Amino acid sequence: MEGTFAALAGGFAAILTPETLYYIFIGSLIGTLIGVLPGIGPLAALSLLLPATVALPPVAAIAMLSAIFYGSMYGGSITSILVNIPGEAASVVTCLDGHAMAKQGRAGAALGMAALGSFIAGTFGIVILTFFSPALSSFAIRLGPPEYCALMVLGLVCTILMIRGSALKGMIMIGLGTAFATQGMDVVSGEFRFTYGTIELTAGIELVAVVIGLFGVSEILSTVEQSAPGMAVKTKLRNLWPSRADWAASWAPILRGSGLGFAVGLVPGGGPVTASFLSYAAERRIAKDPSSFGKGRIEGVAGPEAANNAAVSSGMIPLLSLGIPGNAVTALLMGALIINGVQPGPMLIVENPQIFWGVVASLYVGNVFLLILNLPLVGLWVQLLRVPYSVLFPTIVLLAMVGTYSANRNIFDLWVMLGFGVMGWFLRKLGYELAPLVLAFVLAPLLEQSLRQSMVMSPDGAMIFLARPVAATLMVVSALLLIFVAFKGRAATPKGGTT
Amino acid sequence: MNITRRGFTAAAALLPFAAHAQDARTRLNAIKPAGFPRDPIEMTVVYPAGGGMDITARVVQRFFDRATGERSLVNNRTGGAGLVGHTWLATQAPADGHAVGIIANLIFSDAIRSQGRWSWTDLDHIAHINAEPLNLVVNSEGPFKTGGLQGILDAARARPGTIRVLNVPGGYYEYLIEQLEAVAGARFLRVPFQGGAPGITALLGNNIDLGFGFFAEVRGHIAANRLLPIAVTGRQRTTFLPDAPTVNSVTGRDDVNWGVSRWVALPKAVPADRKAWLAAAFQAALSDPEAAQEFRNLGALPDPALNTPEKVAADVARMAEGERAFLTTRAPR
Repeated sequence: MEGTFAALAGGFAAILTPETLYYIFIGSLIGTLIGVLPGIGPLAALSLLLPATVALPPVAAIAMLSAIFYGSMYGGSITSILVNIPGEAASVVTCLDGHAMAKQGRAGAALGMAALGSFIAGTFGIVILTFFSPALSSFAIRLGPPEYCALMVLGLVCTILMIRGSALKGMIMIGLGTAFATQGMDVVSGEFRFTYGTIELTAGIELVAVVIGLFGVSEILSTVEQSAPGMAVKTKLRNLWPSRADWAASWAPILRGSGLGFAVGLVPGGGPVTASFLSYAAERRIAKDPSSFGKGRIEGVAGPEAANNAAVSSGMIPLLSLGIPGNAVTALLMGALIINGVQPGPMLIVENPQIFWGVVASLYVGNVFLLILNLPLVGLWVQLLRVPYSVLFPTIVLLAMVGTYSANRNIFDLWVMLGFGVMGWFLRKLGYELAPLVLAFVLAPLLEQSLRQSMVMSPDGAMIFLARPVAATLMVVSALLLIFVAFKGRAATPKGGTT
Repeated sequence: MNITRRGFTAAAALLPFAAHAQDARTRLNAIKPAGFPRDPIEMTVVYPAGGGMDITARVVQRFFDRATGERSLVNNRTGGAGLVGHTWLATQAPADGHAVGIIANLIFSDAIRSQGRWSWTDLDHIAHINAEPLNLVVNSEGPFKTGGLQGILDAARARPGTIRVLNVPGGYYEYLIEQLEAVAGARFLRVPFQGGAPGITALLGNNIDLGFGFFAEVRGHIAANRLLPIAVTGRQRTTFLPDAPTVNSVTGRDDVNWGVSRWVALPKAVPADRKAWLAAAFQAALSDPEAAQEFRNLGALPDPALNTPEKVAADVARMAEGERAFLTTRAPR
């Protein structure tokens, strides 16, 4: 323990130079910005900036690039709350209650709580990273395909818990999301599925295009349809800061979101997107009156925003201590390390302790920067609500197009975005929820891959899920949740009608 | 001690080297087409940023800029495990010399997967970058930590279909497995992964028994004594893992040579003068001893014999033919 403190102090000493602090600050700023801009995600931003970091010292380069990653988690909530368009895929669920709060004039409270929740969860994750990295990574590495599969099943069950309206409609959305996810290359055989002879579909459907289409374009279509040109939110803006009551409601969701997000981020394939959805589902299920979710509950902002930041922090653990990236963004960070002549892996902490601890220390500093950057800006961001739709919407559409294109530099993705936009508009009119579709779209490829790998590996079919303790535990939890939903659903119908 | 000596050698080498670079630049400028390049040269990598090909391309890009004084950039066109980018290069890339592919012999299987839309012969192959073998690794605390490759082959013969091996379907990993099976008269349990890296993760967790990887993917784990190298592909041992025997020497064959070879390619329709300048420019960039050193740090070795576009094209054709021959003669599954 004392050794850890000394090493961490060494890390701080290494980064507390004007130059490194400057790069961490720049990373935080860029991260917030790309978080705010719909479409442009951390992946696109990092791959654009990767060449620029070759000239920097390795610690400064990684500190800046990872600040962009977690900075985007802070920024993503801003667009979600203010205009109901997710700035990042990980902020999709923040739209639900965050924007409802904005409509009630409580945008400031939502923004403030999102920033504070992100800070608390991000820092919580880093503290655990600092002290338990080796132990956690040797646990995480034991997890194989059966465990991933069980985790994805749990994720899908939680998606069912998220459904607010008709269970049938929700299940249809989950089915649609799963179906879209099967397009492209078969994860096991390498064959192409549902590509209709086109090259464009061989890569599958791009998540960014789906999210921006479903939530961004369709939101704009619906709003334009419903309202005369005018102000975005007409209610006057009161209490810019979270109140005592907001705090009382939020601290527990933040803690739960931190724990949940941390666990999800640690597992390869998991990440901030899944973490935020699961946290929302959990908060809604725990609440005494789940029906009030989606109508401006601060718990629905605090929990998911905490979860996505905790997942970013814990995602650094397998990267730094094992050299194993769990998702596309950490894979890019790993590439950045290698390009800078540093081999991530178990030997990093031994051979290059100043880099390992420097990066860890930079995570603490970056989160402080982001909090300082975000809280005073809340007032400024809220002013965005005064921008008339006629200016705001074309700007957002333009930025969304740039962002979607930047993911793969592929014009086809823009058509996908438009298609999903029109589809989302119809689905909203018909009373379908869009969030389950997106989560199913994220989880399905991992579920399919790990399921098929497990079945290949298993000598006796599905028994492999019961023979391994972690997989079995997750499967049992999923089954219990399903039973719980089935019973609760039956009990609620006679009393409450169609909630 | 080491560092000072290296510094001294570098300083001593600097003078003649600068002159050499100056010479190369003069020769390049002599054949430089008028008004070209007009924009930065775009080097396309068909795999994601941060991966092995991407890192290679970024080294190439830096030394290209240094050798030519021009500006270039790396662009990742990903998707379909490389098919999207390869197709773009072969069919859509602008043929004005501004679009260049940094590719590998994985293009041959993608050409087959394109179902006749394009062929690897739609590109001109102008400069060799480097090559490296596949390393066969086991978990150093797993059931096969002793016994080497022969031990695994024996086990696969004794218990067919139970030894779990890393497979990335439709590529060299699969070809290698087929050769091992053929020589051992054995059958492995092929666990499919989307790439080598997630497979190595599974090997570290003892979820599979035998993995394959490039040096950069396994070096850290070998150094930390989590993975044990048991063999390498190719005709000779690798300098990076001198203790690992070749698969050929263990199995008594001479054709287990799957590895990766990387080179620079252009659309066929690029005008001849631009093509000649680009070929000379990449050759100059890649013959920089510092570039060779950077590749060596990544576990790959350049082949200095492949120093003209003709030799590179012949080598590419040879590899394509080898793969075609293997695919047409392999046992049907």
